[in-house]
Amino acid sequence: MKRNKKKFTSKNKNPLNKLSLFQKSESYFGRSCPLSVKDAPPIDYKDIKLLKRYLSDTNKMLPSRITSVSQNKQRKLALEIRKAKVLGLL
Amino acid sequence: MSFYEHTLVAKQDLSTSEIEKVENKYSDLINNSEGKIVKIEKWGLLNFARKLNNYRKGFFIHYKFEGNNETLNQIKKNTLIDKSVLRHLTVKYKKLNTEKEYFKENKFNEKK
Repeated sequence: MKRNKKKFTSKNKNPLNKLSLFQKSESYFGRSCPLSVKDAPPIDYKDIKLLKRYLSDTNKMLPSRITSVSQNKQRKLALEIRKAKVLGLL
Repeated sequence: MSFYEHTLVAKQDLSTSEIEKVENKYSDLINNSEGKIVKIEKWGLLNFARKLNNYRKGFFIHYKFEGNNETLNQIKKNTLIDKSVLRHLTVKYKKLNTEKEYFKENKFNEKK
């Protein structure tokens, strides 16, 4: 049996159509990982601009359920952030 | 033989001639101990994100080189004694990317 992939995307395209305030918007689920797209920037400890995007105000890592980074890339991000923190860049 | 990247953080209050001494010291050290330098990058004075040993800024020097176990041991020995170096980090790579420079657009580099 084939799964219906358009189950979530077809209805309620306008965010104002939501039934209640507590319903999460569709963009919340549908996003793919921004670091495993084609031509994505390589994760590197020298690239501070990129690493800062995935840190909170208090220099802690943001969870992947907010940034929608894949499991594999999240692990690599954590390693590179640790390297940058040793040098005092982050 | 494999490829490595090595970064030094020198203290802020060193004069320009002293920083050159530090830079030359480690480049000679790598070349003399079975290693070969591919590229040296000066990142210049950068602000730290937080205080490190009561310093707010540091002078960054970045080496890309080819070497083996002995070169790494020599670097580690010398940096631990060296009082002008705050922090250091070596990372192993399969291939070195010598084209891209992340800290090129730094204001402090242009003044000198």
